[in-house]
Amino acid sequence: MKPSLPLTLATIAGAALNSTGCSDSGASGPYLVNRELSGNEKNLRLVETSAERFRYQTAPSNPQSGSGAASVAAPAKPTGLTYTTPEGWQEAPAASMRDVNLSFGENGEGECYVARLPGMGGGLLANVNRWRGQMGAAPITQEEASALPTKPLFGQPAKFIKVDGKFAGMGTAESKDNYRMLGLILASNAGAVFVKLTGPRELVEANEDNFFIFTSSLDIGL
Amino acid sequence: MKLKLALLLPLIAGITGLASAREVPQVDLEKYEPWDPQIVEAFENLLMQEAGRVKPVYSYSRFTLLQFSGKTSLSFGTKDGVTHKLHYSEWMLDVLFRGDVAKSLPVFVVDDSAAIVQIGVSPKAKRDRYSYSEIVEGRSKLAELSAQYAEKQRKYLDSEKDRQYELGRVEGMILTLGRNISAFEYLVGQFSFARKGELLVNENILPREMVQLAATLDPVEMMDRMPEMSMQQLMQAIQQPDNGSEDARIFTSALRLFFFYANSARGLNLIPPQETDNEVWLSASDAMLTGLESKEARPWAMEQLQNVQSLVEASTQNAETFKAALTEFSDSQRANAEARGEGRHASLEVQLYRGKYFTNSLVMFIVGFIIMAFSWFSPGSRFGRIMLLIAGVFAAVGLILNIYGITLRSIIRDRPPITNLYDTVIFITGTAVLLGLLIEYFTRLGVGTLIAIVSGMLGMFLSIKYEAKEATDTITQLVAVLDTNFWLATHVTIINIGYAAGLVSALIGMLYLGGRFILNLAGNDAKDFFKLLTRMNYGVVCFCLFFSLIGTVLGGIWANYSWGRFWGWDPKENGALMICLWTLVMLHGRMAGWIRDLGIHMNGIILGIIVTFSWWGVNNLEVGLHSYGFTEGVMPALYKSWGIMGIFILMGIWLYVDARGKKAAKKAERENKKVEIQPGPA
Amino acid sequence: MAQEETAKTNGGPLKAIYKFFTSFKLATIVLVLITIVTLFGTLAQVEKGLFAAKEIYFHSIWIVDKVGNFPVFLPGGGLLMVILFINMSLGAIVKVKKRWKGAGLLVSHFGMLMLFAGAFVTWGLGTDGYMALYPGMKSNRVESYRKWQLEVMPLNDDATADEVWILPSDELSSIGYGEQRSYTTDDLPFEISVSDYAPNAMPTPISAPVAASAEAREIDGFKLLPQQKAKEAAANIPGCYVDFKPKSGEGGEIGAILSAYSFRFDPGEKPMPFVFEYDGQKYGALLAKKSWHVPFEVQLDEFIFDRHPGISMARNYESRVTRLETDKEEKPLEIKMNEPMRYAGYTFFQESFGPAGSQPGDRMYSQFAVANNPADQWPLWSLVVTTIGLGIHFVIMLVDFIVRSRKQRIQVAS
Repeated sequence: MKPSLPLTLATIAGAALNSTGCSDSGASGPYLVNRELSGNEKNLRLVETSAERFRYQTAPSNPQSGSGAASVAAPAKPTGLTYTTPEGWQEAPAASMRDVNLSFGENGEGECYVARLPGMGGGLLANVNRWRGQMGAAPITQEEASALPTKPLFGQPAKFIKVDGKFAGMGTAESKDNYRMLGLILASNAGAVFVKLTGPRELVEANEDNFFIFTSSLDIGL
Repeated sequence: MKLKLALLLPLIAGITGLASAREVPQVDLEKYEPWDPQIVEAFENLLMQEAGRVKPVYSYSRFTLLQFSGKTSLSFGTKDGVTHKLHYSEWMLDVLFRGDVAKSLPVFVVDDSAAIVQIGVSPKAKRDRYSYSEIVEGRSKLAELSAQYAEKQRKYLDSEKDRQYELGRVEGMILTLGRNISAFEYLVGQFSFARKGELLVNENILPREMVQLAATLDPVEMMDRMPEMSMQQLMQAIQQPDNGSEDARIFTSALRLFFFYANSARGLNLIPPQETDNEVWLSASDAMLTGLESKEARPWAMEQLQNVQSLVEASTQNAETFKAALTEFSDSQRANAEARGEGRHASLEVQLYRGKYFTNSLVMFIVGFIIMAFSWFSPGSRFGRIMLLIAGVFAAVGLILNIYGITLRSIIRDRPPITNLYDTVIFITGTAVLLGLLIEYFTRLGVGTLIAIVSGMLGMFLSIKYEAKEATDTITQLVAVLDTNFWLATHVTIINIGYAAGLVSALIGMLYLGGRFILNLAGNDAKDFFKLLTRMNYGVVCFCLFFSLIGTVLGGIWANYSWGRFWGWDPKENGALMICLWTLVMLHGRMAGWIRDLGIHMNGIILGIIVTFSWWGVNNLEVGLHSYGFTEGVMPALYKSWGIMGIFILMGIWLYVDARGKKAAKKAERENKKVEIQPGPA
Repeated sequence: MAQEETAKTNGGPLKAIYKFFTSFKLATIVLVLITIVTLFGTLAQVEKGLFAAKEIYFHSIWIVDKVGNFPVFLPGGGLLMVILFINMSLGAIVKVKKRWKGAGLLVSHFGMLMLFAGAFVTWGLGTDGYMALYPGMKSNRVESYRKWQLEVMPLNDDATADEVWILPSDELSSIGYGEQRSYTTDDLPFEISVSDYAPNAMPTPISAPVAASAEAREIDGFKLLPQQKAKEAAANIPGCYVDFKPKSGEGGEIGAILSAYSFRFDPGEKPMPFVFEYDGQKYGALLAKKSWHVPFEVQLDEFIFDRHPGISMARNYESRVTRLETDKEEKPLEIKMNEPMRYAGYTFFQESFGPAGSQPGDRMYSQFAVANNPADQWPLWSLVVTTIGLGIHFVIMLVDFIVRSRKQRIQVAS
């Protein structure tokens, strides 16, 4: 009985220590091993480029638009907000619930406005998804909404969203194809601020820098 | 004898000093009309859903006041010279139904007046409590700063604790204050929609024309006349460009007001859902939006909102009317909840908090301690033994209260005693007290009673501190993996019994080392007494091993059932393992002849350090699958306790060195004698 | 027993060694060391993550490490446990005097030995991996959490493959950065040359400034940049360079970067191999998770996810599955938290779900941990044995303690 016990022990201990300590199984050995594939394993997705294979966006976005030199600082509006109107942007006719209303593009097809609401304004998620809905995009989850990038707005971090799609917001009957929306949402207990820019995608792409020139210039006038 | 008395007096004075109240703060109210006791009683029946559970508003009030003020009651003096002490349920009645009064009550605790200065409000004492009215002038600054710090804290968490985003002490206080003030505003503004334009908070946010509109607009009637609108449509309508017509403008304004009301009525889920298969209770806000979105649900939603309106209306009437309204409201809640099997133990829960079992248990231990201290005047005498017996009875009553409280909590949630970290505190305390009393039963030396009382005092004090620090409901819902009464009852309970035994071992060790240290200084030794302590500690260590080992292996088996591996070297598992290992070290070291009396006790203290590490410390490592016990800011307290235990270990080392020195001296003496004696007879 | 006698009487160095290995002193030292290793192994997890700390501290013979700035030199957990096992078998089972009073201890030590033996078996022979399925999917393929292998397969016209040549993970992961190794097989017309394997690496477009300046080979506008290893070992994304060369050594060679990014992140995805053509036949090359098959298929019928009312905390999640096996009836089953499916030596646990951030109502997949552990139930038996042993022992001791302390108390009182 006795001599066998240490032997057993040695075997077990040896086995334990020789294994790499990892508990994965399967074939081993330095040579190529052949195996049949079955079921779902057989299916592959063949892509053309390395960029697709490595999950990079297929099209590089945002070619730098021309120097977005700022224009004159606008005077304080009755709304109490001051801001810089970027080059090529115009004041659009005032509208209720919009503290600032601007347009851009040849026919003014791009628009950008600022709206403020008391309270949390329905919360971040509801608003992000409402805007996504206007662009025909699927709603996102609270986690995803919280993880959205932030940009400064009135010196506070606002959530930035960028959505492409068919724009169908604001009571317009037909939706507009190939549109892009940029938005900033600042929801705090003291009130919610929305900045939203919409327009044909190429136009918005060219005006993205202007959007940030505009939003970072927003301030409460005294 | 006199010396002992002199030592004892300051202690008693200190304890009574703790109990006596500080000078009460004066508030800016001419007088305070207390709530009719009948109303307070009726209020206890009100239900709500919070944190995934239907519970009495009563317990919600308790934790809310605790969160705001760090206490569960509220004392203040009014201008008519009367001092009032409010129960949390009375305070919540003020918050919900007499917002203007509540705004003057000093409930927001600020630990450092620097935080108050920063928001531009004139400070009071270094640590003091402020009323909403006092804070409100710094409201916008507070909102700005707390938003800023909230963002900083988010970054801190996102960056996996990058030091540059760590909140400073004052920053943390401002953030907490900001959150508390905002929570208070939601509570006070909760029933704004039912108050016909009396907003109480946030008035300044609304444009003046809307304040006027608010006085005439009943949102419930308005809902009746509205078209069906989804949340999205509502938001769009609010942002709709003005087409110039007066009607449209009024419509938009009314909508905005409706939205404002709906927004401020969030958070207090008082309304049981309409469908029986739905478990999510609604706030008045949810009811408003539900009614707006669906014409089908509208009559029901309107009924619910009107119920709230009549409740609020009744609160302005006489006590009888209000009491009747409260009872009617809670009766309908209860009928609805019971149909779904919810809130069955709500009245037990009220009883749990009203009975203050854990606080009273602490009081028993403290009184027991004082009585016990009297027995030290003449140990062994008839008087001493009677005092000891009475102290033991107090400890036993403390234990019974503790067990009763734990039992109520178990019944309330239909779970075994331990489901979260708070539970472990009261459970381990109870177990340690029980162990102490058992030791007393077997040894009758007073040591067991002392252990029972000391662990009872420390443990119950810790539980109260911990509850105040967390200030959230301690009856919590469980994450999916813990949803098993079998493993909670076995592994969790057993391992915590092991923890308790480890701590008792450390207590005995400290008693032994402290005792011997003092007696050694005095040149006294009570060998038999200390020998018995050693045997006692040895027994406790064995007890600890038994439960820790079985608990740990059971934990492994559970892990093997739920995660697919028996052992994963996860920090919590390692903590339990270290307890087992150290008890084994003690038992085997004893057999090896390396650990004797001193060794058992010093190692017992190390065992105590290991227990506290795996009980509290590993949660703060924030790695592993067991992180559900996570809590912030316990490390300083933990370090302190380790420091104290370390001092005792140092005493042990000193005793060891001293004993060796004496032994060597004796030996040398003996040898000298030998040398002297040898030539004698020759 | 007779042999034991001879061992004792033999004397000499053997006896000394035997004595050493059976001693309480050794037991104490080893237990102290294991406690210290456990402590440092726990603290090290904060910086290194669980997997790395486990390898360094508990699956090792020697430990050379730093916790914070504190240097740690200790015998490894593996070594200590083997010593403890030997010590326990010899000291507590073989050598110990067999008395009634020691019966409890004998039994409990035997239980502990079973636990250790179970741990060694699990360590040496157990496997673990996972299977993730969307409702409606079925599979018999189990994937490793963190081991990757290189796969080369001839492609059919419909973007499928029937067989695969695998460079196993142990070999692949031993190819260091800056190293190159070649592999051939008679069945494939080319030589596979693998180089610069990095356990965590990012294929980076050269338009990125970091890539432009990095010294790495550029292929198709990308460079493979090694990254620091992730704290969670399963979060590493390995990558390597691979070249397909003609066996004759003549003609052009085809190079590519392979990255685990091309494998699936979600059970609904299909892997995206690097595609190349050789002698008119298309081939795909892929870094794929190491995988193996269980002898039956599991089909996910429904995944149920339930939260506590009004809050985001998960109350329960469970999977309705059907087990499919040739020549056997379909077997519908439930797998949920704390209730795994055990079958044919494999155990399926409800482990997690995805994709990350899903809400109830979304289409979600369910993930099972799949373990094959011959010692699966040993801890349970060991627990029963140990508990009985300790129970007997402590009852004996308690009676002893009470009797003696009664005596002592009387002495103290008198």
